[in-house]
Amino acid sequence: MSLNTQAVAAGEVQTETQAPRRQLSEGARADRRLGWMLCAPAVIVMIAVTAYPIVYAVILSLQRYDLRFPGQAKFIGLGNYAAVLSSPYWWQALKITLIITVISVIFEFVLGMLLALLMHRTIFGRGTVRTSILVPYGIVTVVAAFSWQYAWTPSTGYLAAVFGNGAPLTHTFQALAIIILAEVWKTTPFMALLLLAGLALVPEDLQKAGQVDGATAWQRFTRITLPLMKPAILVALLFRTLDAFRIFDNIFVLTSGGQNTGSVSILGYDNLFTALNLGIGSAISILIFICVAIIAFLFIKGFGAAAPGTQVKR
Amino acid sequence: MAVTARQRTGWGAANTIVVILALVPVLWIVSLSFKDPATVTDATFWPKKWTLENYRGIFKTSEFTHALLNSIGIAIISTLIAVVLASMAAYAVARLEFPGKGLLIGMSLLIAMFPAISLVTPLFNIERALHLFDTWPGLIIPYITFGLPLGIYTLSAFFREIPWELEKAAKMDGATPFQAFTKVIAPLAAPGMFTTAILVFIFCWNDFLFAISLTSTTRARTVPAAIGFFTGSSQFTAPTGSISAAAVIITIPIILFVLFFQRRIVAGLTSGAVKG
Amino acid sequence: MAAQLLAACGGGSAGSGGRATLNFYSFPDNSGAVQQAVDTCTKNSGGRYVIKYNKLPNAADGQRQQLVRRLAARDTSLDILGLDVTWEAEFAEAGWIREWTGDNKTSASDGTLKVPLETATWKGKLYAVPYNSNTQLLWYRSDLVPNPPKTWNEMIDMSVALAKQGKPHLIEIQGAQYEGAVVWFNTLLASAGGSVLNADATSVTLGQPAVDALTVMKRLATSPAADPSLSVQMEDANRLAMESGTAAFEINYPFVYPSMKMNQPQLFKSFKWTLYPRVKADEPSHVTIGGIDLAISEYSPHPGLAFEAALCLRNRENQKVAAIKGGLPPTIADLYDDPSLQENYPFRKDIRTSLENASVRPKTPAYQNLSIVIGHTVSPPRGINPTSSEKSMRGQLKDALASKGLIP
Repeated sequence: MSLNTQAVAAGEVQTETQAPRRQLSEGARADRRLGWMLCAPAVIVMIAVTAYPIVYAVILSLQRYDLRFPGQAKFIGLGNYAAVLSSPYWWQALKITLIITVISVIFEFVLGMLLALLMHRTIFGRGTVRTSILVPYGIVTVVAAFSWQYAWTPSTGYLAAVFGNGAPLTHTFQALAIIILAEVWKTTPFMALLLLAGLALVPEDLQKAGQVDGATAWQRFTRITLPLMKPAILVALLFRTLDAFRIFDNIFVLTSGGQNTGSVSILGYDNLFTALNLGIGSAISILIFICVAIIAFLFIKGFGAAAPGTQVKR
Repeated sequence: MAVTARQRTGWGAANTIVVILALVPVLWIVSLSFKDPATVTDATFWPKKWTLENYRGIFKTSEFTHALLNSIGIAIISTLIAVVLASMAAYAVARLEFPGKGLLIGMSLLIAMFPAISLVTPLFNIERALHLFDTWPGLIIPYITFGLPLGIYTLSAFFREIPWELEKAAKMDGATPFQAFTKVIAPLAAPGMFTTAILVFIFCWNDFLFAISLTSTTRARTVPAAIGFFTGSSQFTAPTGSISAAAVIITIPIILFVLFFQRRIVAGLTSGAVKG
Repeated sequence: MAAQLLAACGGGSAGSGGRATLNFYSFPDNSGAVQQAVDTCTKNSGGRYVIKYNKLPNAADGQRQQLVRRLAARDTSLDILGLDVTWEAEFAEAGWIREWTGDNKTSASDGTLKVPLETATWKGKLYAVPYNSNTQLLWYRSDLVPNPPKTWNEMIDMSVALAKQGKPHLIEIQGAQYEGAVVWFNTLLASAGGSVLNADATSVTLGQPAVDALTVMKRLATSPAADPSLSVQMEDANRLAMESGTAAFEINYPFVYPSMKMNQPQLFKSFKWTLYPRVKADEPSHVTIGGIDLAISEYSPHPGLAFEAALCLRNRENQKVAAIKGGLPPTIADLYDDPSLQENYPFRKDIRTSLENASVRPKTPAYQNLSIVIGHTVSPPRGINPTSSEKSMRGQLKDALASKGLIP
C-alpha cells in the first residue's frame, strides 16, 4: 500500500507477518482483552436469551410429546426424525421450499445488483429512487401478502384481469409464481441495500484506472467491482437465502399452503401449533435448521476469504 | 464530466421504471384503504367512491394508537442497542485477533438460522417466570438478540473495508485521537452503521411471530400483531379497509426513516481518503 | 369435587373486601354486544367481581394458539374462555377446563338447544356453556330462481341450465383448504347419513355416505356452477361474489344478509333464503354448526365466581343483544320465538330448524389433526376422486386419531 502503512506497521500494532513468535507480545495480549471485552455484551445477550430455548427444542425433538396428553411424554431418541424423514409430506414441502428459494434468490440477486447500480450511479432523483426502492421492504409482510391476494383474485383485483380472470392462485405453478413474485418484490430492497453498501466501498480511482487501461464497462464490472464486493455479496446472499428457505408469511396468506404450495416452515407450524405435537414439530424445526446450516456452510466455503472474521486486514 | 441529453433520458427512464414497479403495489394498498367496503369487489385500481371511514375507524379506539407507540418505541430502542452492541463486536471481529472469534461468528449464525417457531414457546415460559411477558423489555430483548447476527455480519463486512491506517496517518499529521476518529474513521463507518440500523429497525418493525406470542394486551402489543385483532363488520368479513389503512399509516414512519438516512448510506467518501 | 367446594365458598380471595377481577378472553367483537354483556354482568355482581374483556385475535387459529400456550403454562390470569365449538374435547382431555356440575350444569343446560349443548359435552360430562351458535343457509336470487332447489343435485342442475342461458349461475361455497371446507364435507356426510367417527370417537367410519358426499363435491367443482376461485374461497369471498352479481346461489352464514342490504340495495330485493340443500331427497340436511362456548379455566383462582359470571354473560338478555347487535344466532331455544328479533332476523325460524337437525364436527382431542387431513383431501374440490379419496382419507384419519406421524 502506501508509505504511511509501513511506517504505521512498524510502530505499535503487531501485523500478521510478525505472528510466528511463540510468546504473545504486549500488543497481542491487549488485542485479546479488548476483543473479548468488546464482544462480551453481544455474546452475553445472545447466550442468555437463546441457550435454554435451543436446548429445550432439541430435547423436545427427542421425545414423543403431544401437548394434549402431557402425561404420556416419553423419550424416543431419533424416532421423530425417522418419522419426519420417511414422510412424503416432508419431502414435498422440501421440494417446494427449494424451488422457491433458488428461483427467488437468483431473481433478487440480479435485480438487487441492478438496483444497487441504479441507486449508486443515477445522475438525478437519487433520493426519490432510493426511498421508493426501500419502501416495499418496510411494509409489513402479511399486509403486502394480503394486498397481493386481493390483486390476483378475479373480479376483486386489478392483476387478475390482466391474466384473463383465471384465478391463478388456484393452480400450483401459477400460485408458486405469484408467491415468488411477492417474495422478490418484498425483499429485493434488502439485497439492493447491502449490495449498494458494498458497491459504494469500491474506490472510484480503481474504476478510472480501468477505464484508462481500455476496459469495457462489463469488464470493469466483473474484474474490478465484483471481486471487491465479495464480502457484501456474501452477507447479502447468505442472509437472504437463509430467510428465503424459511418462507412462511407469504405462503400462509396467499394460499394457506393449499394446492401443494406448502413450505417446510408451514409444515413445522402445522405440526407444532395446530397438532400440538411438540416432538414432531421440534424435529421438523431442527431438520430445517440442519438444511439451513448446510446451505450456510456451502456459501461460506464457496466464498472463502470473504467471510467475516477471516484474515484481519492491516 | 458533461452529462449528455441521451444519458439523462436513459437514467430517467431507468428511474421511472424502477419507481413504478416498486410503488404500484403500495399504491394498491393505499387505494384499498380509501375504498368504501361496498365497492371492494370492483376490480378497479382506484376507488370509485373515496372514503375516510377506514382511517376514522382505526383511530376510534385507542388500541391502534397504543400499538403504534409500542412499535415505534420498541423498534427504536432495540435498534439503538443492537447497533451499538453489534458495532463493538464487529469492530473486534474485523480488527482484532483473539481466540473465540470463530465461535462468536458461528454462534451468531446459529441464532440467525434457528427456526423461530420452536423458540417461541420456551421464550414465553421464561418471560412469564421473569414477569417480562407483555412488557416492552419482553420484546426488546428478543429483538436485540435476533438482530445482532445480521448486525454483526453486516458491520464486520463494512469494517473490514475501512483503511484503518488512515487513523494513524491523521494522528501523524497532527490530529488528536478524537479528531482522528471523528473526522476520518467515523465518516467511513457511518454508512455501514446506518445500513445496519435500517435493516434492524425494519426487522423489529415487521416482526409478527414474537409480537403475537409474547404480548397479550395493548401494553406491549405492536402493530403487526394488532392487525390480527382487527375485525370486519362480522366475524367472517375480512377487514380489508382497516388493515390497508393501518398499513399505510405504519409505512409512513418507515418512509421518513429511510428518506432521512438514505443520504448517509452511500459513502462516496472513500475515494477522497485513500489517494496519496 | 373441588369445583363444588369452591363454588360453595364463593372462591377464595374475593371475600376479603377487594373485588376479584375475572379475565374473560374471547373473540374480538366490534358490534359492542360482548362489551355490553360484560358491563351488565359486572354491574349485577353486586360488587363481588369485575369482568375484564380481553380480546383474542380475529382468526380462530390465532385464538386457539394464545389460549393453548397460556393454559399449557398454567397461567392463572385466565378465567373465562370463549372457545370455538371444536376445542372442548381437546381442552377437556388436556385438563385445561373445569367440568360443570350440579346447579351450574342445570342452569347451563336448561332451555339450551340440544346440538350446541352437545358441542360442550365430552365423555358424558359438560365442560362449557353454549354462548352463540352459527349455521349456514342457502341464499339465492329469486329473480333467477323462482323455486329454490331442495337437493344439491337439483341446485347444480338449475345452475347448469342458467349457465346455458348466459345468466349469472355460480354456486358460491367455501372450497379453500381450511376449516370451512371441512364444515362443507361434514355437512354433506351427515346429510348422507354418515359420520367421520363412531359414537365413542375411537375409530373412523366414513364409508358409502362419505363417497356420496365426495361425489357431490366433485360434481359441483367440475360443473359450470363452480366459481373459478372455488379452491381459495372462504366465507367472505363468497359474500363478495354474490354481491357482485355473478352468482345465483350462495351457501353461507347469516352475516351476508345485513351486508347485502347495505351494499347492494337493488339486488337485496330479490335476495331470499331457504334451508341448506339436502343430499338425499327424503332426509333433511344436517348442517354442521359453528359457534362459541364459554368454559372456565382449570387454573382460574376464582372458579366459583367465574361460573356465575359465565352464566350471566350468556343469559337470555345478553344473547338477545348479541343476536340483534352482532347477528349471532342464540343458543337459548325460546329466543327464536321472540318477536323483537323479527326485523334483523327474519330467517330465524329456518335457523332454528337447521339448529335442531344440526350435526357437529367429530368430537375428539385430536380434532385439529383430523381437520387438517380432511381439509387436504377435499380441497381443491376438483381434485377429488370419490372412492380413492375416501380410502386415503380413512387411512390418514386413523393415524391422525392416534396422533401418529406428521400432518400435512
